[in-house]
Amino acid sequence: MGKDLFGFKGVKPVFAMTAVLTLVQSVSIILLATWLAEVISALFAGQPLQEQFGKMALFLFAFLVRQLCSVAMQRLAYGFAETTGTDLRQQVMTKLFQLGPRFAKTEGTGNLVTLVLDGISQFRTYVELIIPRMMGTAITPVLIVVYIFMKDQASAVILIVTMPILIAFMILIGLATKKHTDKQFESYRKLSNHFVDSLRGLETLKFLGRSRSHSDSIEQVSDRYRSATMKTLRMAFLSSFALDFFTMLSVASVAVSLGLRLINGEMILETALVVLILAPEYFLPVRMVGSDYHATLKGKEAGQAMQSIIAQEMNTAEASRDVSKGYQWTPESILTLSGISVQHEVDGPHSLNDVTFEVSGMQKIGIIGESGAGKSTLIDVLGGFLHPNAGTCTLDGQRLESLQAQGWRKETSYIPQHPYIFNMSLADNVRFYAPDASDERVLEAVTAAGLRDFVASLPSGLHEMIGNGGRQLSGGQEQRVALARAFLNDRSIILLDEPTAHLDIETEYEIKATMRSLFQDKLVFLATHRLHWMPDMDVIVVMDQGRVAEIGTHEQLVAKQGVYYSLIISEGEEVQ
Amino acid sequence: MRQEQEAWFRPYVRQYGWRFVVIIALGLLTVFAASSLMFTSGFLISKSALRPENILLVYVPVVLVRTFGISRSVLHYVERLVGHDAVLRILSKMRVRLYRILEPQALFIRSRFRTGDVLGALADDIEYLQNVYLRTVFPTIIAIVMGGIVTAVLGWYDMGFAGLVGLYIGILVFVLPGISLWLTHKRHKEMKQQRSGLYRKLTDAVLGMSDWMISGRSAQFMASYEAEEREFARLERGLGRFARWRMFCAQVIVGIMVVSMAYWSGQQAADEHLAVTLIAAFTLVVFPLMDAFLPVSEAIEKIPQYQDSLDRLNQMQASDLAGTELSDLPSVASLPVGHDAHIVLKDVRYSYQAEAGNVVSLEAKNSTWTLDDIQLDLPQGKKVAIIGRSGAGKSTLLKLVQGALLPSSGIVQINGVEAHRYGDGIASVVSVLNQSPHLFDTTVANNIRLGRRDASDEEIAAVARQVKLDRLIDSLPAGYATPMHETGQRFSGGERQRVALARVLLQNTPVVILDEPTVGLDPRTERDLLKTIFHTMDGKSLLWITHHLVGVEQMDEIIFMEHGRIVMRGTHAALMEQEPRYRNLYQLDRPQLRMN
Repeated sequence: MGKDLFGFKGVKPVFAMTAVLTLVQSVSIILLATWLAEVISALFAGQPLQEQFGKMALFLFAFLVRQLCSVAMQRLAYGFAETTGTDLRQQVMTKLFQLGPRFAKTEGTGNLVTLVLDGISQFRTYVELIIPRMMGTAITPVLIVVYIFMKDQASAVILIVTMPILIAFMILIGLATKKHTDKQFESYRKLSNHFVDSLRGLETLKFLGRSRSHSDSIEQVSDRYRSATMKTLRMAFLSSFALDFFTMLSVASVAVSLGLRLINGEMILETALVVLILAPEYFLPVRMVGSDYHATLKGKEAGQAMQSIIAQEMNTAEASRDVSKGYQWTPESILTLSGISVQHEVDGPHSLNDVTFEVSGMQKIGIIGESGAGKSTLIDVLGGFLHPNAGTCTLDGQRLESLQAQGWRKETSYIPQHPYIFNMSLADNVRFYAPDASDERVLEAVTAAGLRDFVASLPSGLHEMIGNGGRQLSGGQEQRVALARAFLNDRSIILLDEPTAHLDIETEYEIKATMRSLFQDKLVFLATHRLHWMPDMDVIVVMDQGRVAEIGTHEQLVAKQGVYYSLIISEGEEVQ
Repeated sequence: MRQEQEAWFRPYVRQYGWRFVVIIALGLLTVFAASSLMFTSGFLISKSALRPENILLVYVPVVLVRTFGISRSVLHYVERLVGHDAVLRILSKMRVRLYRILEPQALFIRSRFRTGDVLGALADDIEYLQNVYLRTVFPTIIAIVMGGIVTAVLGWYDMGFAGLVGLYIGILVFVLPGISLWLTHKRHKEMKQQRSGLYRKLTDAVLGMSDWMISGRSAQFMASYEAEEREFARLERGLGRFARWRMFCAQVIVGIMVVSMAYWSGQQAADEHLAVTLIAAFTLVVFPLMDAFLPVSEAIEKIPQYQDSLDRLNQMQASDLAGTELSDLPSVASLPVGHDAHIVLKDVRYSYQAEAGNVVSLEAKNSTWTLDDIQLDLPQGKKVAIIGRSGAGKSTLLKLVQGALLPSSGIVQINGVEAHRYGDGIASVVSVLNQSPHLFDTTVANNIRLGRRDASDEEIAAVARQVKLDRLIDSLPAGYATPMHETGQRFSGGERQRVALARVLLQNTPVVILDEPTVGLDPRTERDLLKTIFHTMDGKSLLWITHHLVGVEQMDEIIFMEHGRIVMRGTHAALMEQEPRYRNLYQLDRPQLRMN
């Protein structure tokens, strides 16, 4: 338990401080019990009340010390958990930005966001609870039982014997429960998902004419879910039942045995009272571990999930040789890719296999091929999102392992199929790459991208909020916002990944004209299924199963009657 | 507002009233047993210390101590089980209730709440509301009742002291929770807002990651995100500190109460109003008793959070009232299987504002209609493609045909009966294959069988063959019985559409609406899917909204919509001949060897 904690910075002093505080707390517990017992037994013996005020004050003092210790421990643990959590989050975020969008996509955006937000707070709860609990179970019961042993050996023996039985039962029941839930996991998951699944499929159910009758099935499944849950809970609650049962039984046995020995005159009331007050305190730390078990388990798992992201292997260039800061792509520039290969998994298929070609100046390069041919992977390499497993890039004579250099990135604009629209104003979205641009320049870019009329129709014009929290844009408008970004920052290289396939054909037709004007005097890489772009391209790279199948102009490739030609033929056929 | 809130609580309180009483009684008994254990133990050892002649004199307390020791754990166990059972029953009712609220708006949810996963959030809200009972309602009631009992018992001995103890308990049960609710509810609200801000920001970061990377602004993002996290942490820290010191204050009260109890019982014993053997009993019972009162503050502090979930559910209900008058109409018409359908739209106009009742002002201002002057004749077997930009009115047109909306003027009829009068029976006339049909978390066979409940295995296999999925399904580990979610990686976008198509075929309606079923598919998959669709739709009427022109040659009519009007219509051949604009668009989809 909690071994993973020792890797965190500054954990040792926290443990040491907690240990000291737990020690003070345990002593104060013993003292408060002693003083309270003295007060009661004195009163029992008929001593005057006034003489007990001192002891009462002492009891209250010890009681307060005990509570203050626990406040201090909580505070200490809270502070440590907060810094550790912040640390972990920063590491995860930094790593995420290094791993890039492809990793985020495979992990799922929702999962990552939940992990970073909820996972961190679960992890913090874990850290916050586990440190005081560890110290509490290690120190308090030992001190108390030693003290009781000195006062009354028989009671100490009862307490000592109970503890292992209690823990053994807890573990046994815990294991049985786990086995039970594991066995039921699949049906349980289905039952608990059923409701959300139904809500998400509501539209489909409506189409099928099933939506009204489906509410009966919701009720039935909910009831089945209830009985399945109850079956599990009956077992799961048994472990806290065992805790309770043995604690109470043990305390009761101690009380009875104390009573019997008092009758026999083997001990005095005061001792008996001390033992009786301390007996529940002896079990308290273990019971707290039991009640916090699930919270800590969840946090621990969240922590592990984040550690595994941080530990993700990646083949980044170890701060690969950067191209110079103010690097600029000029009409004379040359980029050569040679032998570029990408494998996402070690023994998996090649997403790119030995890709070699050269581009220069302000060429327009079309990248074409069927899905899975490697078009997007190639764009990812060109955009510096991916570090190839093999091969080199040569940029104006400088050999590079990858294009992940800041200098190169600063020269590129990237337009994906679904450009992301941030929760910002339209203007801030457009000037995302150039945050200092004035409203005038933004307006120019917006006009160039064909959004002028749209902006004019908005209540707040350029400053209208768009994105998830604001006004929703259509696919074509999103694409135009991305184009406006590219117009505004005027970088020399533009990468496009399937920018128009999802648009309706009229919008596509219009946007194509806008894009053509953007492409002027720029190096353009355009990956697409849409063959109509190709006659506009200077060079066409035809991809097939990760390899470059053909390179050439539209005319050359048509004349060659190879892969490109057959693509055109197959798409020219009528659907029948 | 008040009334709506109660609707999520009151019916359940009434329905499960006796269960609640049992749960609360069990909770009280649990506290009682734990307290009695300490009480009788204290009494037992005091009595024993008097060294009675006969051991039988302490026999009863000895038995009681053991009984209470055991019964406390049993009672607590039963209490938790009964409590969870009742809450799960309520959860089930609340789910059905939420579902019934959402069901009539089914076709509008997507357009109304495009942001995020509203449905998932609503389901979570319901889950969350069940905690109201377990974490807040039950513990609070138990504490209040227990406080009353304790005060009453002491009042039997000494009214004055009972008043004092009542005051202490009152501080724990009413004053501290009241203060903390008052002090923290604003902060909780602030935190809630900040948290959703963080959530949005983080989503922005993950989804827009490539933009952050390329723009070289990732460091800048990290800095601003961390600043917001720090602000959030500051608020959270404040709440944590408050909770710690509140607990400390409560514990101080416990300490004072122990001392008061010792003082009082000592005094009473000295005055011989109380047996000396009860001093220890009365003093020691304070500790277990207080366990019932300490958690109340935390329980009450949660109220603002429930409020939030409740607000969202109520909002759902409010929007329900706005747009569903149609679905309340009984379905008066339906179509027997195999019957033909003839759909006619004549002079149809539609405006979303007009629905709200201001037709006149709309006419006066001459504002735009969502749909205007729509004529459509779709006899059995006719195939029509509809093309237009987003916002051209295509979806509205479909909703009119499905009878989910009433035209502002003009008529929408199926076989001479107004479309909306079919109600839910419309599913026997029109089936829909849209862009992202939902595949449910059940087996492949059950997903297909949704099209017709009583379909036999052979019929399912037959439609699977029709949509060319038979080989793929046979290759699955459990064939047709393979759970859908396990096919997530195995089924591509096109294959998922085919499952939905099989479902539509089983539904076997005379009219099929295709609502951009091929968006997001690559050209080859698109063509293959369309081939299968056209092949299986022989003899059915088709209303096909499409974003590309691939396959339109097969249609009897092609309709271009713009700003709610039909701007071009005709057969493919006619349009190619007459409309240069159509020819341009067609070229985009049909690459030719000589394009210039």
